[in-house]
Amino acid sequence: MKNTMIGGALRRSARAAAVAACVAGSAMPAAAANESLALQPGSEYLMVANYPNNLNVVDVATASVYKTCTLPDAFGPGLTQISPDRRTAYILNNRFGTIYGIELDSCKVTFRAEMSLADNERAKSIASFTISADGKELYAVQNPTTINRDHYRVGEPRFVVYDSSAGLDARPVRTFPAPRQSTIMQAAPDGTLYLAGQNLYEVDVKTGEMKVKLPIRDWNRSTHAPLDVLYIWPVQTPQRDFTILYTTAEYQDDKQDMETAEFQYGYLNVNLLTGEAEAREFGPLTEIYFTGLRSPKDRNIIYGLLHRLTKYDIAEGKLLQAVELEHTYYTLLTNHDGSRLYLTGTFNDIAIYDADSLTKLGNVQLPGGDMSLGTGQVFVR
Amino acid sequence: MKIKKIAAAMSGVVAVGLALASSPAVAAASAEALLRAKCLACHTETDAGFSRIADQRKSPEGWLMSIARMQIVHGLKITDEERRAVVKHLADTQGLAPSETEGSRYALERRLNTMEAFESEQFTQMCARCHSGARVLLQRRPASEWEHLVHFHLGQYPTAEFQAFGRDRDWLGIALKEVVPDLAGKLPLESEAWKAWQARAPQAVDGEWSLSGHMTGRGGFSGVMKVSAGKAQDLHALSFEGRWDDGKPMAGKGQALIYTGYEWRADLVVDGTPMRQVFALEDGVLRGRMFLRDHDEVGADVVASLQRDGNARVLAVHPAYLKAGDEGELRIVGSKLEGEVGLPQGVSLLETVRRSASEVVLRVRAEAAARGVHPVTVGAASGGSLAVYERIGELKVLPAYAVARIGGNGTPTAKVEARFDAEAWDAGPDGQPGTSDDFRIGVVPARWSVEPFDEVAVRDEDVKFAGLMDEASGVFVPGGAGPNPLRRMSANNVGNLKVVAEVQQGGTPVRGEGQLIVAPQRWNNPPIP
Repeated sequence: MKNTMIGGALRRSARAAAVAACVAGSAMPAAAANESLALQPGSEYLMVANYPNNLNVVDVATASVYKTCTLPDAFGPGLTQISPDRRTAYILNNRFGTIYGIELDSCKVTFRAEMSLADNERAKSIASFTISADGKELYAVQNPTTINRDHYRVGEPRFVVYDSSAGLDARPVRTFPAPRQSTIMQAAPDGTLYLAGQNLYEVDVKTGEMKVKLPIRDWNRSTHAPLDVLYIWPVQTPQRDFTILYTTAEYQDDKQDMETAEFQYGYLNVNLLTGEAEAREFGPLTEIYFTGLRSPKDRNIIYGLLHRLTKYDIAEGKLLQAVELEHTYYTLLTNHDGSRLYLTGTFNDIAIYDADSLTKLGNVQLPGGDMSLGTGQVFVR
Repeated sequence: MKIKKIAAAMSGVVAVGLALASSPAVAAASAEALLRAKCLACHTETDAGFSRIADQRKSPEGWLMSIARMQIVHGLKITDEERRAVVKHLADTQGLAPSETEGSRYALERRLNTMEAFESEQFTQMCARCHSGARVLLQRRPASEWEHLVHFHLGQYPTAEFQAFGRDRDWLGIALKEVVPDLAGKLPLESEAWKAWQARAPQAVDGEWSLSGHMTGRGGFSGVMKVSAGKAQDLHALSFEGRWDDGKPMAGKGQALIYTGYEWRADLVVDGTPMRQVFALEDGVLRGRMFLRDHDEVGADVVASLQRDGNARVLAVHPAYLKAGDEGELRIVGSKLEGEVGLPQGVSLLETVRRSASEVVLRVRAEAAARGVHPVTVGAASGGSLAVYERIGELKVLPAYAVARIGGNGTPTAKVEARFDAEAWDAGPDGQPGTSDDFRIGVVPARWSVEPFDEVAVRDEDVKFAGLMDEASGVFVPGGAGPNPLRRMSANNVGNLKVVAEVQQGGTPVRGEGQLIVAPQRWNNPPIP
């Protein structure tokens, strides 16, 4: 096996990971009093889930919690997708085992799909789901295991399509084989689905046909070490960029010596509006990020987030600015005009930063505990 | 909540249990009946035995973990007493030969600071990145069973193929096509060693055992452990009386159960503190680790030998070093210590303070000419040594790399301390440390402290937050668990510290250094790490 840069990245991030803290213990039940509060057309909201079973809707203009829905079943990972009509939040929860549709105006559960399709099956979706651009279909990749009487048998992953109006006992309307190790996906307005995993695939949701849009494992560059991708945050960006960060290392010469190679950060990007795809490095790897976000205002700017909030000039491959944070945050979101950055994930507060100056503007305190891996979304109703 | 329940259940089953005494009737025959009553709901009885179960051999702790998993994950209802009977039966009839545990006993002995190193990068990345490699090496299965284990792993831990060293490869394909055949070849169900071990006569254990040990952070000790038959097969009562090298007395009582004919597991209370012994028994010698039941990082290396004819051994000399030109008292510990004491040339006997078959206490003087490490014998008993040193040329901190873990502070997980020894070396006649004429003196008292390991540790004030080092003992107690609002980024009290030991040699300090990582809690702490 070829050396990857995982080891080096891991060593560098081990300390950082140790610093990441949890406050799930402080979880309190959500106040249910505002559950029937309807969202206001034209208003911009940020929704994000947190322990123990909350789906919060934050009013972006006032930077305050607008309402909190109580979610059924167990928490985790709390990854959300917003429907195209901005009325329904889809959330992967119940320990990666169930996708729910929550009508945001009423907090009612209107859709429910169990990833396990048989009594003796345990199926999980590892952050692998989204809603179609017309809102009519919901897609997921499920990793099933059959629980036999005295042994487990791992099954082939499946790409499944649900009718989003199927209600509370949704079953797949179409099922196709999927590659193992599939993760996040996003749907383009033209109906194409993009799925990340061993490679970044372009999926025909009618036939299940998958073509490599951007190679990840199959990107054999003599100049660089194989990519490492840990990216399970399916952020629906305002400018419709589907962005995934990767790390790699550039060799000094054809000896491909990892000891002297330069560690680098890069991104894979599909513009969902145009289908244009690109993969490139944007700066040296000096710290680990969980999420990155391209600026809606300036396509040459990309932000990174985990232990610091950073800003890079893509063309120059240069770190422009980095700010220290009060604690670790996982998931970076932005408002629609790109003027604000919202730092979410871990703990139970959202930090708001000015996207140009990276000055901190405030916090929104959420009822309940840790946002954990949960991915929120910013949307205009 | 679920995690808490699992943790509680696991801690309840960690004791490889000794309550058999309360129920002597529970023996092999009833263990088989229990297997039939408890396991047939899922496992099928075949000519070879029960499906899955018949195709595995492992340590007592390995069987305990399997049954505990059946309780936690698959709803098996079994009492603690019944489980003990089943574990005993399976470890006896489908265990490992002593040679099959060689090199992996550290995991059974709860030496959680062990830094594993395996030749196979694939084995390290596929297996030993989530749990110890020893957990694998302490099992024997045919290929079909190793294959079941791969499916279990991905079924139970679906993210295994998404983690680092999983997502960069066809994890399942490699596991099934490469790792399974490899493990089946190296760790097969059938082995000559196991056949031979099963045919061997039972070993005698009742009688008086002379015992020598060293507990890091506390010092050496020795004494006599009396072992007598207990109320059930393979169960033995034990009592221990001895003393620490500093003269303080030490006494304990308890019971030991022998699994697989040699796996000695004892629970005892030593001076009010519950302790556990994990020893291997072989030819009149017990060897292993004795540790606090509730703080298994606090433990001692122990060796013991049975007082019986033909088992003359010197286990250790306490202390095992003497400065050239000095007088001192030596305690030779062993079994059948009868006959003339053989001291190194240049070490003269001043007085025999007292002697018995298990201990010979002498006052001696070491001449300068005796510099070096020399064997010490008593009649036919050999195995001990004495180092006569001129000066401490080098000091090593042991372990050179250790992990302590934050805990407490209102959380359910206790702090895990780190403990260190200062090992002194004489630089030998050439006076140059690090050359071939150097020799080990032994563990010496030192002054202990911690320093930031690197610039990040300086910035984050790790020395201030990560915990406290006891200057005299080398015992490090980590900080409380949870985010600390006083720290940069509200970090936990984690840290990266340099551990410093210092001794004075004729007015000149000699310094040794090690590294200590103060890590977050170990959330999942099964009997075999």
